[in-house]
Amino acid sequence: MKVENLTKTYGGRRVLSIDNFNFEKGVIYAVLGANGSGKSTLAKLLCSLERADEMSKITDIGKVLYMPQKSYCFQMSVMKNILLGGRDEKRAKMLIERLGLTRLSASAAASLSGGESARMALARTLMSKCDMLILDEPTAAMDISSTSVSEEIIKEYARENGCCVLLITHSVKQALRVADEVIFLYEGEIAEWGEAKSVLNDPKDGRTRRFLEFYGA
Amino acid sequence: MVLSGDSQLFQIIGVTLRMSLTSSLAALLIGVPPGILVSMYNFKGKNALIVLNRTLMGLPPVVCGLLCYMLFSGNGPLGYMKLLFTVKAMIIAQVILITPQIIGNTESYMRLICDDIRATALGLSLPKGKILLLALNESKYQIISTYLFGFSRGIAEVGAVSMVGGAIAFKTNVMTTAIMNYTNRGDFTMGVALGMILLAMSLILNCSVYLIQGKVNK
Ligand SMILES: Nc1ncnc2c1ncn2[C@@H]1O[C@H](COP(=O)(O)OP(=O)(O)OP(=O)(O)O)[C@@H](O)[C@H]1O
Ligand SMILES: [Mg+2]
Repeated sequence: MKVENLTKTYGGRRVLSIDNFNFEKGVIYAVLGANGSGKSTLAKLLCSLERADEMSKITDIGKVLYMPQKSYCFQMSVMKNILLGGRDEKRAKMLIERLGLTRLSASAAASLSGGESARMALARTLMSKCDMLILDEPTAAMDISSTSVSEEIIKEYARENGCCVLLITHSVKQALRVADEVIFLYEGEIAEWGEAKSVLNDPKDGRTRRFLEFYGA
Repeated sequence: MVLSGDSQLFQIIGVTLRMSLTSSLAALLIGVPPGILVSMYNFKGKNALIVLNRTLMGLPPVVCGLLCYMLFSGNGPLGYMKLLFTVKAMIIAQVILITPQIIGNTESYMRLICDDIRATALGLSLPKGKILLLALNESKYQIISTYLFGFSRGIAEVGAVSMVGGAIAFKTNVMTTAIMNYTNRGDFTMGVALGMILLAMSLILNCSVYLIQGKVNK
């Protein structure tokens, strides 16, 4: 899976500009970067929710599943919401149980708390197989134990499907726990990328170093 | 007098209900799909379409009546259908008046939620048809209240229906035109009585919809 000359311009302002990048199967990438650095924009372009600028090329991306930063709770039960992602009821029950939603599975999705709806949205996204899984800050609203379970489930999913995972996050520690590789975005450009531990523990790029000082990693 | 049951009164109420129920339902069926489509998809000329619809939302009923009158009158293009001064003509005029309101209401409500619905549903790689069905399901309460809005506009409207209907007794006279006629004749009691019935009907309709919504919510 390859992107070449991937750019996105909103009203004359270029918010994303990636010369070229290869996404490998079976690799979990963490995408880090400040607010407005273009992380969600990259996600939206890859799942073709938004159209990239002309001349941009995205090849061999395959089937993409994507959990947006603001997931929508449809006006139906938690169980039915999750089954929108795929019909396998056994899998739905397994995900519901592990994500601690058993007691809530018959409740209206609209009545869930912020973290609960994030858990539901993650379960819904992981219901079927894909070639590329994109998760936009899936655990931002979750408590510590839900975050930890979610990370396990994401890693399992990647292992079982051999797909490529793009995990957008603001947590450097999460990137270290989950990701094989890190992509660091700065004002729409890839400032640095490489093996997670080496980039995060020993950044080469000045912009990455300054960013990581802030996060105290 | 209302209670004693006047055959003309029942006739007027019957025509009124037939006209406004049919016209609001037709406008709903015609107006909701384009309202949803326009809000969900981006295409060339979308903004022009929205502006055009907003203009039509402000179409004065008498202008609509005038257009329909010219269309259906003896030597008008649709004169051969002999619809002038019939309930059908009144329904058509009302559909023309109400449909833009339904499109506008649906579009402005869907605009608020359609981005999140689209991102979430596309993220689950659901097919287009399924996404539209989900969007429809998400706006069901809004559609009910849009229908009520269309109905109340239909039942209260007088300009267009009096022009194309002619307010003929026992045929095209509806409650609003009847109130005007009674008032012109100085028969205020009858006018006030009809006005009260009109309000009572609106109350009953809104109460039942409120109850239905409560049931559906559980
Ligand atoms: N529809 C849009 N129209 C105009 N500008 C936009 C649009 N969507 C995003 N932008 C701009 O593009 C830039 C990148 O946005 P993006 O959502 O990708 O940031 P992000 O890295 O995901 O930030 P965050 O950490 O806050 O989620 C921002 O400056 C934003 O204002
Ligand atoms: Mg974002």
